[in-house]
Amino acid sequence: MKPFTVLHLIRTGCMQENREGRIKWILASAFAGTTVLFLASLFVGKYPLTLNQLLEKEEQALRVFLTLRLPRTSMALLGGFALGIAGNVYQTVFRNPLAAPDIIGVSSGASAGAAFGILFLSSGTAAVTFSAFLGALTAVLLTLSLAGTGREKGNASIVLSGIAVHALAQTMLMVLKLTADPEKELSSIEYWMMGSLGGITSYRMPVTVLVCLGALTGIFLLRRQVLLLSVEDEESRMLGVDVGKIRLMVLLLATLLVAAVISVTGLISFVGLLAPHTARLLAGKSRSSVMLLGGLMGSILLITADMLARGIAAGELPVSIFTSLLGAPFLLYLMAGKGKAYF
Amino acid sequence: MDSSFFFTADQLNAGYGKRQVLREVSFSLRQGCITGLLGANGSGKSTLLKAICNQLPHTGECLLNGQRLEDLNIRRLAGRVSYIPQRSGITLSVSVLDVVLMGFNPVLGLFRNPVQEQKKRAEEALAAAGLAGMQERDYQTLSEGEKQLCILARTMVEDTELLLLDEPDSALDFHNRYYVLMKLRRLVQEQKKTALVCLHDPGLALDICDQLLLLKEGRCISSLRPDQDAPQVMEEKLKQIYGPLSLIRCHDGQGQSRLVLLSDLSAF
Repeated sequence: MKPFTVLHLIRTGCMQENREGRIKWILASAFAGTTVLFLASLFVGKYPLTLNQLLEKEEQALRVFLTLRLPRTSMALLGGFALGIAGNVYQTVFRNPLAAPDIIGVSSGASAGAAFGILFLSSGTAAVTFSAFLGALTAVLLTLSLAGTGREKGNASIVLSGIAVHALAQTMLMVLKLTADPEKELSSIEYWMMGSLGGITSYRMPVTVLVCLGALTGIFLLRRQVLLLSVEDEESRMLGVDVGKIRLMVLLLATLLVAAVISVTGLISFVGLLAPHTARLLAGKSRSSVMLLGGLMGSILLITADMLARGIAAGELPVSIFTSLLGAPFLLYLMAGKGKAYF
Repeated sequence: MDSSFFFTADQLNAGYGKRQVLREVSFSLRQGCITGLLGANGSGKSTLLKAICNQLPHTGECLLNGQRLEDLNIRRLAGRVSYIPQRSGITLSVSVLDVVLMGFNPVLGLFRNPVQEQKKRAEEALAAAGLAGMQERDYQTLSEGEKQLCILARTMVEDTELLLLDEPDSALDFHNRYYVLMKLRRLVQEQKKTALVCLHDPGLALDICDQLLLLKEGRCISSLRPDQDAPQVMEEKLKQIYGPLSLIRCHDGQGQSRLVLLSDLSAF
């Protein structure tokens, strides 16, 4: 099914009269769209694969399918879903429609971590993944502990601490780039920062999948608390929410999601920002079903972008180019229809 | 202490950093009554409400039916006291029903979601607040009056004993002020709640409240009961916070006795 048809199905869902029915229809369409794109993505790439080859158990085709194509497509599915869900969490908790993973320093921490790994550990993927993951977590823990030391412990202080940590991580990254060998290391750092699913193999998947599934389960169990955090702190506390603890828990889970994904893929722009907005524009009010839809929109965006990244040119292109190229016009298209009611 | 009092605040002192705002405030409230809190801007009305619901560090104590509120954790406090801000801080698009369902949070486990029976109760509360059939509407598209009624419905499902309202009339027009506060009055009387309402408009307070507390520079300087005290006595007390004014008792179109407050124009 072409993306346009998926879009058409989703738009048709928007016209349903009954709201519950409408959301179910949109969710079902998004599920169908994700599944179709997932299956299509398995057969796109430099090595031509057909269903017949797999059914006939051709050795080379099976090896490409199991060690490269399936892990890569699964990562696009899971990564997009995770980034979409994390974006929803950040935007809800910070009550800020522009909140993205970098608001508390996740991406810049991961970049600095990856650069450190490339320069001082090894250019091997495991070392870079590990140091990027550690960099992201360190940055976020630093942001949250800095915010906790001030007299004001609300969202504003977390965002301000996030800006400080982001600036610090960017400076570290700059210093690391200056000391990098321009021929090899610098290009590795730059390429990592443009994001790609090209390096995903079956060996790199298990830890990421486990961390993501754990964090996703936590966020879905806490989805009602996420909604309660969208209310002003005082009001939320008077509704029985231990704001400090729950916010910390939810932000750490969302950070684990983002860190687990971008540590293996490199930076992927726009998905975390765009997917939740698309879901809200399509389905209306913020509820758990919209959170789920945001995840699916993330998957759709990343799978499509990844197919283009490996299929459009002779060489592999950075996936962020396509997440932005696809995402921005789609957001504008939705805004043109519903923008006034939404913003 | 008089046992008919359901809530008592004793010697409350509170402030922001080194700036003390409340000074030894003590008062008592009865069940089934609305008490209005009057005072000029900066007199400490909102600070008092925040101190009672433990949002602000303070000395002194608050007793609700014999229980010290300072000893309760966030969850148990939310189960006994509800706080309604001037405007709810809900900034996202969220359905009216979901806003009301937030009121069940204190009785739900961290990972639990409202059950069907609770959804039904939320819909009933919406109907009682005058918002029947609006459960699927987006909260952000409601008028200010409807938003306050939605928050009132949430307070109904919270089913707490003490209601604290911080200027619930501030964003409402003339009609809606009375509409929302009369709904509150009915809720308080029928369900034997205890309510403390911070109000800017003394005329509205005289109409709605059973008792009024007058706050000046962080101290509770006096109290009055509009249905019992003589207008001259109340006038003298109100002058202490609002300056020269006249309080007149008259009858409205239905023949009901009402109090009208007039500012002394020559004083300006």
